[in-house]
Parts: sequence; C-alpha cells; structure tokens
Amino acid sequence: MLKSILMISILSSQLIVGEIIGELSFDNRYFFDIGLQEQKKNHTSFSFSPEIFKDDSNRIFHFKAKLRKDSEDSRRNLNDIQELYLINIFEDKEIKFGVSKEFWGVTETSHRVDIINQTDFTEGFDGEEKLGQPMIKISLERQWGLLDIYTLLGFRERNFSGIKGRLRLPIPISEKDSHYSSSSKNKRTDFAIRWSNYYDNFDLAISHFSGTSREPRFLQSVNKVNALVPIYEVIDQTGLEIQYLLDSLAIKGEIISRSGQGERFTAATYGFEYTQVGVVQTRIDLGWVVEFNHDDRLESSPFVLGTRLSFNDIYDSQILSGFIVNDRSKELGFLLEASRRVGECCLLSLEGVYFGDTDEDNGQQKLFQAFKEDDFLRIEFIYYL
Amino acid sequence: MKVLSNLMDKQFIVLTICITLICISGNLSANKGLEIAILSDKNNDGFVDSSSTMTMNLINKRGDVVTRKLRFKRLEVPADGDKSIAIFESPRDVKGVAILSYAHKVEADDQWLYLPALKRVKRIASKNKSGPFLGSEFSFEDFSFQEVEKYDYVYLKEDICLDILCYVIERKPLDPYSGYTKQLVWIDKKNYLVQKIHHFDRKSFHLKTQLFKDYRKYEGFFWQPHEIEMINHQNGKKSILIFDNVKLKNGFTDRDFSQGSLKRSR
Repeated sequence: MLKSILMISILSSQLIVGEIIGELSFDNRYFFDIGLQEQKKNHTSFSFSPEIFKDDSNRIFHFKAKLRKDSEDSRRNLNDIQELYLINIFEDKEIKFGVSKEFWGVTETSHRVDIINQTDFTEGFDGEEKLGQPMIKISLERQWGLLDIYTLLGFRERNFSGIKGRLRLPIPISEKDSHYSSSSKNKRTDFAIRWSNYYDNFDLAISHFSGTSREPRFLQSVNKVNALVPIYEVIDQTGLEIQYLLDSLAIKGEIISRSGQGERFTAATYGFEYTQVGVVQTRIDLGWVVEFNHDDRLESSPFVLGTRLSFNDIYDSQILSGFIVNDRSKELGFLLEASRRVGECCLLSLEGVYFGDTDEDNGQQKLFQAFKEDDFLRIEFIYYL
Repeated sequence: MKVLSNLMDKQFIVLTICITLICISGNLSANKGLEIAILSDKNNDGFVDSSSTMTMNLINKRGDVVTRKLRFKRLEVPADGDKSIAIFESPRDVKGVAILSYAHKVEADDQWLYLPALKRVKRIASKNKSGPFLGSEFSFEDFSFQEVEKYDYVYLKEDICLDILCYVIERKPLDPYSGYTKQLVWIDKKNYLVQKIHHFDRKSFHLKTQLFKDYRKYEGFFWQPHEIEMINHQNGKKSILIFDNVKLKNGFTDRDFSQGSLKRSR
C-alpha cells in the first residue's frame, strides 16, 4: 500500500512543479558521564530534510522526507517520508491521500490524545517528533464544526535507541521480534475520527481511534536473554480535549480512556498557560505553563512548570525552561533551551537537560531511573536551503 | 432677599447656559470625530476580498535593514469585523507559520496560530495584542482591523499633513488590553484616508508615529496604501511595510479562512 501511494504521489509530483526547499541540521549531544551501559559521551548526528510544496488553490501537493545519520547509534539513523500527499478540495469536503502527520491536542508538555502518527523516540525523549503515516483523510467543515475521518493504511513501528544509544531503557529492545495482536500485523487498516469546534472562548474536541496501539507494551524476549520485545495490541481509545480562554489565561485539559492493553485505563494532562506581554516595561514576553498528569497505570503523577521568555527581537531569541517534579519519588528533572536565528539562513539552539539524583530509594516508582547518568548539553544548528 | 434670589437665578441661568454650551460643543466634536471615522471606514466597504504580498523592512538605529516576507488574504464580513490570514514566507525558519484572525466589532478578536513543524493549530489569547509583531515596531494591535466601534472619538482640528489638508481626530481605545491610551489620527479632507497616526503608550508618551503612503485606487473605489511606515521614538527603530500584488475579488469564501484551511498553508 505504501508503495502504491508512493508511486501515485511521485507521478503526480512530476505533473506539477512546486517550490523546492530543504533543511540541513547538525546536532551534537555531549553527555557528562559514560552511560550506564558504557555508552560514549559524545553523540553527533546530521539530518537532511528536502521538501516540495505546491498549492493550486483546490489541489495541494506536499512532499517532505527526513534522513538522519548518527555517529554512534545506527538505530538512530532514519529514512522517513514525513509528508507525501495530495489534498483535493471539493465544494463540500476535502480529501487528503498519502503519507502525512496529523496533530491532535491542546496541552503543551504531554500529548495524551495525539495518536495518528508513530513517535520517533530516537530523535528526542519528549516524544514531539513523529513518523509519517499513510492515510486517507476526509474532512468536513460546517457550521457544527470540523469533522475529520481517517482511514490509516498500515502501521509504523516505534523506533528505539540501540545498545550504543543514550536516553534508553537499560534492557535492549528487540524490534525485529515485535509482536502484534492483530493477524494482519503491521498491515492492519485502522480507523479514527475527530470532531472539533469552538464556541466563543471555549474549544472542544472529541476523538476516537480504533487500531494498533502506537505505544507498545513490552515482554521479556524468548529468543534472547536480557531483551524486551514490543507488543502492539489493538486498542480503542476515546479522547476529549477542552480549552477555555479567560483573558490572557488558557485553561486546558486532555483526557483519554483506552481499552485493549489489559484493563481499561484513563490518563489525563491538564493545566494552564498564561502570557505576560511586555514584562518590566520591555518588549519581552514571559509565558508560564503549569501542567499536571494522571495515568491509571502509574503510581506517580508528575507535574511540569515551564516558562518561555520571548525577546521579540529580530533574531526571535527565546529561552525555555522546564521543571518536571515527581512528588512521590522526590525526583526533579530540569531542561533549559535557548534559541535564536543566525543571519537569515540559520537557527541555533542550545539545550541542557538534568535528571535529578535518583539514588535515594524511598520505595516509590522512579521516572528517570534509567536516565540517571544521561544529563547532557546539546547544540543544534539548522541551515535552511 | 428677592433681589438676591433674582440675581442667583440669573447666575444660575447663565451657568446652565454655559454648561449646556460646553456640552453641546463637546457633543459636537465627539460626533464630528465619530462621523469622520465612519466616513473613513466606509472607504473599505464593498471590497469583498483582497490578497497581497507584504514585505516588512526592519531598520535599526544604525540603518541596518532586515527583511520579512508574508502573504496576506482578507475577506469582508458585512455585519462583523473582517477575516484575514497572514502566511510567513521568510525568514526561512518561520516559513509556513500562519495567523488566522476573525476581527469583531466590539468583543475581542479570535486568533489562531499554525505551526507547520508540529502541524499544530493553536488558539491565541488575543487579549495579548500589545506585543511586537515579528520583531517589528508594529504590534499585533496595529495589524488588526481598526473597527469604528472599538474607540471613543473627539474631533480636534484641521491641519496640514504631508502637503494635504487633514482633519485631526483623537481616539481612545475602549479595550483595556490595548497598548495605547490614545491615538491622534490625521484623515485627509478629500478622500477620508488615514494619513498619519500618533500612538501614545500607557504612560501617555508619544511612542510611535505611523505614516500611510502611496495610496492607490482599485476597482474605482478601494484605496490601498502601498507603504506603511512605523517609527518608534523611544528606541529609534522603524519598520516599513510594503504591499505588492494587490488583488481584489479573488473569489475567497469562509472556507479559505477556516481553522481547517490554516492546516493547508503548509
């Protein structure tokens, strides 16, 4: 199926010549300590993302690929088609056909409802980076809101760091032995639907997904000693997103209920975002994010406090900070990220991540146990072609 | 006693007349201010929709220039404020970022931001509109459509601006979240086009001067300034906005200005 979509899209792309652009990025992560499994301190990667975009007002073509090469961990190498689709816009509906990325959600620090695309876990541990998903999407936009109906053609497995990679579970994951509960394995056709609308200052979205879980559970491998096997089960997940704007305050929440992976469970992220414009008589904006988490599967309910300083200068300089606090286990994680434009071509960002000391054992489930030697500094430089 | 009371009566009458006169003249100048604002706003009636490209030059004190490019589409909504969409073309790192706005006559505008890297549409608390737009001297507020109903008006005087005879009116934003306490607006007597605005900040300091230049007429009635300059007197910087490829009646519909359409901008 993927191949046929590819063929069709490539043929169509030859008929229409769009705008061709691209990105080259250099990424270097320096870990302060040797890894728990003796991984190296310095990891470098390069990535290249060519892109073609063509908008013919009622027909849109988009192609974007991502190629990544890592110096240490071959599992972090990537050849992914992120976007390769055609959108046809009709009088009363819109149809998207091909590989694409679709985002669902309102919260900032954790995305509970978002489920269309598989997460690229090797790119970053925040789960923001996704892999392209083949789909047919029909969108209806009416007075009563926006309705998206998805047929998801086939499944993409989650990618995990290899033995030499950092920020990973202590036990290696054997992706080759992945187990599916569906007899169609990764060829299963999944379905999803989402309705969203807004009423004055209130935003609402309800969604349902029926298909192979993007998030696997793990079992001890029978073939290999000391290896985990991902199990991809068929799940049903219903999601709710709400947001209410009260002057400069956005109150938001996402909640899901999922069945198919053992007992039915509920998970939620909720909190608020507030922006102070022009702090202390300057051009600088200061944004605050506070978000709480709940997950039936976990004992702990960590919360996140984030700030964003936007300097509103010609370089778009920004400084983000985030604390993640796990009250029960007394864990604290910290992230600091600064970015700015360089010239008109480039973007530079620096990031530091610290995982608080987790040696003290108070009998509670730990969040960062596996990452305790993984504090790092990262520099990323992007050149736009 | 009677004499005294007569005298008081007379004084009272004189006082009443004085107050009435002041009120009338006050009312008159308020009415005249509002009338001019309405006539100026009428210039925009009936354009249906428009599209253009915008080039924004940001110039610092030393004269160094950096350039930003945007595409801009606008749809007239007869009973309400207009709908618009601005899509960033450059600098490259923000290419494809888009802002969708629904202006309203009285209540706060609705705004959504599209971030193509995350494929995410995010609703913006549009009360935060006093902040700079794309690092320029324009604020989000300067970019939104200035509906007549959003201000109180007082007519001040006639004055020469850029060699033409203008009315000068003072307007005060009714929105408590506005970055301005008042604005002096120069509107030419012939075509009722806004020629110049002085913006006064929250401390009533003359913060910025905005100049509207190179007005050109489209379809025989629609006046579009092709250059808008914003000078910041506090930091010595200025931003110049240049409009090109202005086209009316593109056949846009509400669907071109929906949240769904925002996701199609890249």
